[in-house]
Amino acid sequence: MKKNKSLLLSTPYILWMLAFTLIPLGVVVYYAFTDSPTTGNFTFANMQALVDYLPVLGQSVWYSLISAFICLLIGYPVAYFIARQKPVTQKFLYMLVMLPMCMSFLLRTLAWVGLLQDTGIINTLLGKLGIGPLPLIRTSGAVILGMVYNYLPYMILPLYAIIVKIDNRLIEAAEDLGCTPVKVFTKVILPLSVPGILSGITMVFVPAVSTFYISQKLGGTNTAVLIGDVIERQFKQGNNPNLGAALSLVLMLLVFVCTGIMNRFGDGEEGGVVV
Amino acid sequence: MKKANRIFTVLIFIFLYIPMAVLIVASFNTGKDITHFEGFTLSRYAELFKDRQLLKLLGNSLLISVLAAGISTVLGTLSAVGIHRLKPGMRKVVMSLTNIPMTNPDIVTGVSLSLLFVFVGSKLLGQKESLTFWTLLIAHITFGLPYVILNVMPKLQQMNPALQDAAMDLGCTPLQAFWKVTLHEIMPGVVAGGIMAFTMSLDDFVISYFVTGSDFVTLPVEIYTLTKKPIQPKIYAMFTLLFLLIFLLMVIMNVMQIRGEQNKSKRRATVDSKAVRVLKRVGAIAMVVVLLAGIAFLVIPRGSDTITLNVYNWGQYMARGEDGSEDIIALFEEKYPHIKVNYTTYDSNEIMYSKLSGGGVAIDVIFPSDYMIARMIQENMLLEIDYDNIPNYRYIDEDFKNTAYDPENKFSVPYTWGTVGIIYNSKYVDEADVTGWELMWNEKYKDKVLMFDNSRDAFGIAQFLLGLDINSTDKAELDRVAEKLKEQKPVLQQYVMDQIYSTMENEEAWIAAYYAGDCMTMMENNPDLKFYLPENQGFNLFIDAACIPTCAKEKEAAELFINFLCDPEISAANMDWVCYSTPISAAKEFLGEELVSDPVAYPDAEKLKNGVSFAYLPEDISRYMESLFMQVRNS
Repeated sequence: MKKNKSLLLSTPYILWMLAFTLIPLGVVVYYAFTDSPTTGNFTFANMQALVDYLPVLGQSVWYSLISAFICLLIGYPVAYFIARQKPVTQKFLYMLVMLPMCMSFLLRTLAWVGLLQDTGIINTLLGKLGIGPLPLIRTSGAVILGMVYNYLPYMILPLYAIIVKIDNRLIEAAEDLGCTPVKVFTKVILPLSVPGILSGITMVFVPAVSTFYISQKLGGTNTAVLIGDVIERQFKQGNNPNLGAALSLVLMLLVFVCTGIMNRFGDGEEGGVVV
Repeated sequence: MKKANRIFTVLIFIFLYIPMAVLIVASFNTGKDITHFEGFTLSRYAELFKDRQLLKLLGNSLLISVLAAGISTVLGTLSAVGIHRLKPGMRKVVMSLTNIPMTNPDIVTGVSLSLLFVFVGSKLLGQKESLTFWTLLIAHITFGLPYVILNVMPKLQQMNPALQDAAMDLGCTPLQAFWKVTLHEIMPGVVAGGIMAFTMSLDDFVISYFVTGSDFVTLPVEIYTLTKKPIQPKIYAMFTLLFLLIFLLMVIMNVMQIRGEQNKSKRRATVDSKAVRVLKRVGAIAMVVVLLAGIAFLVIPRGSDTITLNVYNWGQYMARGEDGSEDIIALFEEKYPHIKVNYTTYDSNEIMYSKLSGGGVAIDVIFPSDYMIARMIQENMLLEIDYDNIPNYRYIDEDFKNTAYDPENKFSVPYTWGTVGIIYNSKYVDEADVTGWELMWNEKYKDKVLMFDNSRDAFGIAQFLLGLDINSTDKAELDRVAEKLKEQKPVLQQYVMDQIYSTMENEEAWIAAYYAGDCMTMMENNPDLKFYLPENQGFNLFIDAACIPTCAKEKEAAELFINFLCDPEISAANMDWVCYSTPISAAKEFLGEELVSDPVAYPDAEKLKNGVSFAYLPEDISRYMESLFMQVRNS
């Protein structure tokens, strides 16, 4: 009786998730292997066309790995700093990290255009100092900056959640046993924050690898084209949803493989998702 | 060391907040450009509150996120309880199902849901409009649910199972035990999950962008369209207000949490102070009221005598009251109070075509160009217009009837016409270099040239330069054109459509090819800009016309609207702002002398002789050209 009821409670949810997460993925597969939405004949053409997009895929992975790595480098000290504050300060700083995530990322990216462009705020200020307009925007650096800026909170929050749980007594014990501060960090704190690092990297990598607005605004015609842009263009302009579906499928598999590897590293740490 | 870290953290926070500060400052700027602060004003806020359209979009966003968060919270909490009681093996399966939308990139979730809705709605059920408010709501619930589950599950695991048994031993029914004990214990998780689902839904752009149809648009999706055009400063005002609102909400949440913890540490965990209890009750009641209002709004049929007319037009292509112009839509709605116009915009013929052929939307009026009209006629995507309902058609000049794209005048009513030429900034560009289309390939202006972001216009320019026929159907020839376009890439700053306005006006770019009417608007805003028509090499002469696509639901209202646009006085008021040339000579007497005599808008007949119109290309050639253009862009 009890078991029936619990099944009854979760059935609507299970059905919902099947209908709106698993079946849509099936539809994507269907589109990826058919020639056009109207005829729907089976074809391998889209899969063959994918070969042309392998460099794009490689670039996207490369850009987002670099971004994730930079996020880790600059996010870790911040997360560590926050975790070492008084609880009230911690809460406030946590909120400040979270707040940008709730604001329109389109407008925030657009603000970077205003900052970086040749006639933009930074170059105008530099111009007043007699430094001629620097090529800031439409570079690979600008695209990576955009990714780091947008997804840094996704790194800081999980790192913080793990670091704050590290038992202070462990650190004290290490110090008592004669560890230098550097050793305390490398031998105690860093190993204990590995789950946070892994989940942070995943949480930056996944949205960064699939982003499609940042490179349109901050990149130029000669910087990398990212897979997200290509997918968006197939659906919105190129009028080729079938190729778009095939590209989505590849992107999804890539992400699942990457997160799978991350989870392996983390020994199947559960509940890594904090945000 | 500690000090260094403090300084570093401050720097990172500055990094995180600088772009938002820029936007907030821009909301008080008298100038339109984000990069130059010209003076302080509050008028952007007044403009914002006068803009019914923006406020409606904000309302739409709030409605969908409140409903999605409410439904996901209730459904998610119940399911979490159910999942918690499942056998461990089964539980693992369900939890990994929950993780799919969490780990899947947003773009894939969006694409997959939109394909599903269109597939089921249009293909299996044969509906005209399958991307509606309801499908958007389903999408938002789908990505909100996991947040609730993942927040509630840990609380359930922490809970002592004996508590519920104790409640039942003391005479509670299972339902009462759940209501009085379990729910109370897991409440923080439920609230946190609900709030997360709400904020994610409110700010979602990527998934909504793919799932949105034509009748219900949320704010972030519209902001995307708006960022493609010269952005109106009132958007910054809206950003500032939302920023304050969210900041305030977060502070309140924080204070309440801290209070709660302090109470707990004083071992008064279960006994809230009276004030807090009242506050909680008020909060709960407010939430229920908002939810009920939302549901009522949906369920109660809105006055069935009002018709919603979906108009889908190019950006910056109809006077909407900006810069002191008339608001054509408002005038129409005033004259026909039973019709409400839902106005959305596109960037290029190709985007419009993709949206319509993708299916799932219901759109009543579109404004394609000549070649696209021919293509859509060929593919049975247009309805025949009943010209009896458009008496003002008589005002259309004879030159614009019996055209090549619609020889029998069955499907289209001309809206504007114009030429495609080069706009350049005379401050930076040497007049001696302005000799023809090759200006756009000139290495001297590397990184300062803008090119069309649509296949047909981009190919056309290269074809004129190469001296080829712009209506060629020879694939080998098109390959050659694509090579020419690839050659141009190192010189280009960007492929753009309507972003051209801000980029040219603030002198970020110096050379671009664009439509003459838009060039005139830019020249008004920056007097250094000049227009050049490469008459010797040839240029595109285009006509854009109003059409009714087959997915239309309100054909008669659409005809009423098209007729309204053809009224000479209305056409003049419209073109006065749009700056394109009108095909209605009778309208010219209502237009300013300055505009009518402007050679950019109305070049003399001698010059126009060298203009060539785009003609219909067979479907496989259009597709081939599009894929070549994609290759050029992605190379």
